[in-house]
Amino acid sequence: MNADPAIDRVSATLERYDEPLLRKVAARLARPRGQWPSDELIRKCLEVLENPPVLDRRLAELPQSGQRLLALMARSRQMEWPLGSVVELLVTFGEEDVRAAGMVQELLEAGVLFPVLNPATNRIGSFGYWMSQALVSGGLNVFTVPCLATRAVFPSTDLPELGETLTGPVIETDGLEWMLRIGILWQLVVGTPLRRTQGGGLFKRDVDRLAQDPLLNARPAMGVVDLPDPGFLTAELGERIGAFKDHDGEVRVEPLPQSWEGGLWEAIEHLFPALFRLRHWGPFDGFRGEPMLGNPFPSAYLIALVILSHQKEDAWVRPAILEDWITEHHPYWQSDSMRPSRKAPWLSAFLLGICFPMRLVAIIADGEGSYAVRLTPVGRWLLGKGDKPTTPATFPRTLLVQPNLEILAYRQGLTPGLIARLTRAATWKTLGAACTLQVEAETVYRALESGETLDSLTRMLDQYGTRPTPSGVVDLLRTWSNKRDRITVYPAATLLEFGSPRELEEALARGVSGVRATETVLIVSSEDQVDFRHFRLAGTRDYGLTPERCVTVESDGVTLSVDLTKSDLLLETELPRIAELVERSTANNRRIYRLTPQSLTQARESGWLLSSLEQWFLQRVGQPATPAARLLLAAAMVEAPRWQRHLVLHVANPEIADGLEQWPTTRELIAERLGPTTLAVIEENAEAINKILAGLGVVQIKDQPK
Amino acid sequence: MDIGPIRGGGGGRLPVKLHKRVCLVMTEDAVLAEEILARKKLAGDVVGRLTERILLVRPGRIESVLQELQKMGHTPQVAGKIA
Repeated sequence: MNADPAIDRVSATLERYDEPLLRKVAARLARPRGQWPSDELIRKCLEVLENPPVLDRRLAELPQSGQRLLALMARSRQMEWPLGSVVELLVTFGEEDVRAAGMVQELLEAGVLFPVLNPATNRIGSFGYWMSQALVSGGLNVFTVPCLATRAVFPSTDLPELGETLTGPVIETDGLEWMLRIGILWQLVVGTPLRRTQGGGLFKRDVDRLAQDPLLNARPAMGVVDLPDPGFLTAELGERIGAFKDHDGEVRVEPLPQSWEGGLWEAIEHLFPALFRLRHWGPFDGFRGEPMLGNPFPSAYLIALVILSHQKEDAWVRPAILEDWITEHHPYWQSDSMRPSRKAPWLSAFLLGICFPMRLVAIIADGEGSYAVRLTPVGRWLLGKGDKPTTPATFPRTLLVQPNLEILAYRQGLTPGLIARLTRAATWKTLGAACTLQVEAETVYRALESGETLDSLTRMLDQYGTRPTPSGVVDLLRTWSNKRDRITVYPAATLLEFGSPRELEEALARGVSGVRATETVLIVSSEDQVDFRHFRLAGTRDYGLTPERCVTVESDGVTLSVDLTKSDLLLETELPRIAELVERSTANNRRIYRLTPQSLTQARESGWLLSSLEQWFLQRVGQPATPAARLLLAAAMVEAPRWQRHLVLHVANPEIADGLEQWPTTRELIAERLGPTTLAVIEENAEAINKILAGLGVVQIKDQPK
Repeated sequence: MDIGPIRGGGGGRLPVKLHKRVCLVMTEDAVLAEEILARKKLAGDVVGRLTERILLVRPGRIESVLQELQKMGHTPQVAGKIA
């Protein structure tokens, strides 16, 4: 196990190479002397990746286009790329179309690029065969590691000089726009997750939510172009940075990224690689329900930014000119059969609509009704062309908390960390130079659930407030916070049951933390918090498992005998709700309860249904509820019994009884079949039956009713 | 629950019975527990009263109990993660 997860990933990949392939790669990367076992070869390969001088020698031996590819990957800060995008990058920068795939294979064999193996792929025997599966598998990815890619040299001599000098006011944003929008979407999703279709798109309800939300779809406060489907773009960016996560087709919120706490540059740095991982959103069509296959934009975005980084620091580039260069060199736009709609302009949308609000580029009016762009200091730093800029000045007093619980947030004082805290504690209402938020009971509850306290919330409002927080607001925060303290829910608590109160006291004295439930029971919110060195287990019950059968029922159907060696808290808490304790004695480790009309009436009144009783019997007794138990619970819920006087007609054999029951003339006179040869007849019909039977030739009816 | 006596360890390790993955609702007072217990919609989810302030919830039902508590206007704090 290596401290660097990227090196661990390489190790896990190399372990899945067939031995001949591993030897081939190791021969290029590690150059072992002698016949080493596979484990040793992998170890030596990893050593090279962590040895800069050796790594530099290996990189120097690579063809220039290979080095440039690795350097491009380093500049994107995105170490994993689709194979198709990698080929596009190679071809755009001069590799011949037919040789690009060969170059990828060369880099794989040199051990500087690695295949992303499908979990279903056990072993890989040849890179050529693996690459041939791209169509079948719906796309393949390759990856490298930062320690290697960042050392690759980027030859820039053949990059175009597109910059020009323009004068006028330079516009640069605060870089917070996408974080604010991710915060707004986070609030939209926190209560109602987004649901994915099997194809990877979203259900119509969620498509409508994202398409119609006014804040997500508004043009940014300093925006200069409109993007198609900005709500979906926000969703994808948010998912790429980990603010949302797919759980079996349901996209739910995750804690907002830790990088936001680190400052503006760290938050932008974290967001930057997400640009090259957009699969559902594109500048032509906006949101595509399913991931775009053959998506040229990730590589095209990177090419655009790299060319911008090559220009002089103060030179401006017109997007249209840069786009011309890319479409002239990028293989996607070389196809003769390309539909005209695919040739529509797209770079302005990316640079002015995405990079400008993200503070990667600054803009200037070009005098022709459009804008030219250049990288900002942050953009240059992210693309490896400059040092990290100094931390921007902030204005800590930036919130105005009003008595009606509305917060006015002046944007110049916002930071990603403050955006994250406000996102949890209030609802964004408007975005602009000054944003507004509304504090509500639910949002305060949400903030408290995410780790804030009453104290931290009031301190935040005081620290960032331009005025003291109104006392009414503080009082309401306190009220809501106190209300939350009234109920604590433990989703999966661990209960420690001690033999005596003294032993519980001793455990507390030893530093075991928990909440005392009874004199002998301590609640711990999670099993991880239990230090088992202090304890010897006398028994364990896991309530996540199916309840154990531990009750037998006597022949009377109402007396229940509990086996105390198998019972648990659930049973002991539940049984008194439906039965009365008869005998507490623990002789033979059994305890006796009895179902009574009173106990089951009480159970019924507290919501027990016949189905609940049935389920309880099946789980705990292992048989359906007894008739007596069903009677006691359900007698009051069925139609009341009634008394009715009948005569019983006895006939000679079942066939006669069947005939009387079936023949329409007699059927309507018979109340009920009682047995094989007996039928119930109401008194008033006896005479009519007699006549009909006489008509059938029955000479004499025995025992005529009087 | 009685599953045999727990005998003291004499200053060493303390003998305990361990109840794992128990879903509980702990209230500030007994009246609040009574109020929750009286809620019809919670009857199928709440097994019963462990103590006068602690209610035992049927395994796997904690999320619906949370939702119902919120519908009742409460803002319960959640200790630990929902599985």
